[in-house]
Amino acid sequence: MPIDLTDAVMTAVKIAIVLGAMLNITPIMVWVERRGSALMQDRVGPNRIGPLGLLQSIADALKFILKEDVVPAQAHRVLYTMAPLFGLIPALTTIAVVPFGRAFVIPDTLTYDSGLAFGLFGAIMLMLLLAAGTAAATVKFRTRPAATRLNVVVGWIVTVSLVGVALVLLAALLAMKSAGSVHIPGAGHLFEPIVADVNIGLLLVFALASMSVYGLATAGWASSNKYSLLGGIRASAQMISYELALTLSTVGALMAAGSLRLVDVVARQTGYFVLFDTVKIPAWNCLPMFLGFVVFVVSAFAETNRTPFDFAEADAELVAGYHTEYSSMKFAMFFMSEYMAMGTMSALIVTLFLGGWDIPYYHEPATFFGFLFSAVAFLVKISIMMFVFVWVRWTIPRLKYDILMRIGWKVFLPLALINVVVVALLIAAGWV
Amino acid sequence: MFELSIFFVFAATAIVFALVVILHRNPVVSALALVACFFSLAVMYILLEAPFLAALQVIVYTGAIMVLFLFVIMLLNLQHQHEALTRPVQQFLGWMAGATFCLSLIFYLLQAAAPVMVSGAYDTSARAIGFKLFESYILPFEAVSILLLAAIVGALVLSARGSTTVKGDTEQAR
Repeated sequence: MPIDLTDAVMTAVKIAIVLGAMLNITPIMVWVERRGSALMQDRVGPNRIGPLGLLQSIADALKFILKEDVVPAQAHRVLYTMAPLFGLIPALTTIAVVPFGRAFVIPDTLTYDSGLAFGLFGAIMLMLLLAAGTAAATVKFRTRPAATRLNVVVGWIVTVSLVGVALVLLAALLAMKSAGSVHIPGAGHLFEPIVADVNIGLLLVFALASMSVYGLATAGWASSNKYSLLGGIRASAQMISYELALTLSTVGALMAAGSLRLVDVVARQTGYFVLFDTVKIPAWNCLPMFLGFVVFVVSAFAETNRTPFDFAEADAELVAGYHTEYSSMKFAMFFMSEYMAMGTMSALIVTLFLGGWDIPYYHEPATFFGFLFSAVAFLVKISIMMFVFVWVRWTIPRLKYDILMRIGWKVFLPLALINVVVVALLIAAGWV
Repeated sequence: MFELSIFFVFAATAIVFALVVILHRNPVVSALALVACFFSLAVMYILLEAPFLAALQVIVYTGAIMVLFLFVIMLLNLQHQHEALTRPVQQFLGWMAGATFCLSLIFYLLQAAAPVMVSGAYDTSARAIGFKLFESYILPFEAVSILLLAAIVGALVLSARGSTTVKGDTEQAR
């Protein structure tokens, strides 16, 4: 089987984009969660490191790396070490089947013109401005009593790397000016912004998502701690119950698209519903499938173990649940997989019910800028969903465990089934 | 060549993990090894150009059934059990039956000609399987669903009988 070099490079680029985004979700969301909870509880929140406490996550990450890695004497060593991996791998790979922008054809040449020069110049100025801000903040912060050497060093490293990026951009600008136009490798190829456009799209998501429960269950069992074990048992019971409602609530969207591929699901939502021949509203799935949308969002909270459904770690009852015995980077991996699963679930909610990368009332051209705009729209929608996750966590208290199981089986499962029937009727009536 | 190497890697992991399932003393490790074995089988389905079947294999077996197995094992806390050889005759018969089955399988596989996989010979898309299930095989499909329903009702009746007696006991105690 000969491997096309252009395709290989494009796939590598896509994987780099998706992985980079997934790995950066955790530090950003930790900051959003801590500042957001402070906002909702009328506190200040972390504000010591960097402007608005923005570099707090970097300090947290360093602390995770530098802490001692403790393995309990009674623990099952192999499974105890592997459990965080079981959680992290599904969280990292599921996003592969989600389209993150409009497909575009790679143009032949990139010519040097005023627009490109202006854009690059703007980017250089932005980098220099950020570098100046960081440098000023670091200098100001250095004299404070709370300053440690580590914080100051981090500040200078960020400054220097920002200046470095600005210099690289400047070099690119000068090279472009002297060359006039640059031939783009892989011209004429269609760049589809999805890592793996497989026929079974959504099924792959559920297959991988169902694997994440093993991370929690194995961690709980391998720790040899009764609280951990209870957390793991709760996690497996909860996730298996809510997976049914989660899967069934997506059936409506798949029926409307007539395909399991998420690209088709998004493509179907780019049109409009016309009401009374005058009002055009975007044909997003959340309108005809409102029931399915609600069931999916609530089940997504249960599936990612977020409050009000965080029974696997319920700190008032189980110390810290399945990760009670974990420390250092192993704990950080659980932490990362929780936030990545949150990001993946937000991406799925947006793709299935909120139009994916579609910008309402705007027809994205099949060019690089059309891709860029649609990707930014997708990112904005995901960010809003992620904020909803944080918002709900700090607003709604934890339920009781029996209520969780009861509403999962007796409320959300029937509602998801009703949604399937409603969507089938709408499709038969020709409205969807 | 690439596909063949993938096949051998995952065939090896399937066999190794299958052996771990029956040979390991710890039931949790056995259950997790069975999960890995099922996962390797799913890769086999993908190599046979049946990705739908592969996804269902992972969702149904590893995502649902094995989670329940693990749930029960962890709930009963069946760890570190070292059972003595209490039934040597049965164990001997079990080993013999297993070995006979394995040897006969190898014998007949060696006799049969090497199967040739025709690419694209079968339509394994979700659409095709759906049409088959709801048109050609609608009767067996419904029969299986009634069987499953009967099993669920049976399990509920059995568990409910226990709980009513417990309730009666507590009422008598009052």
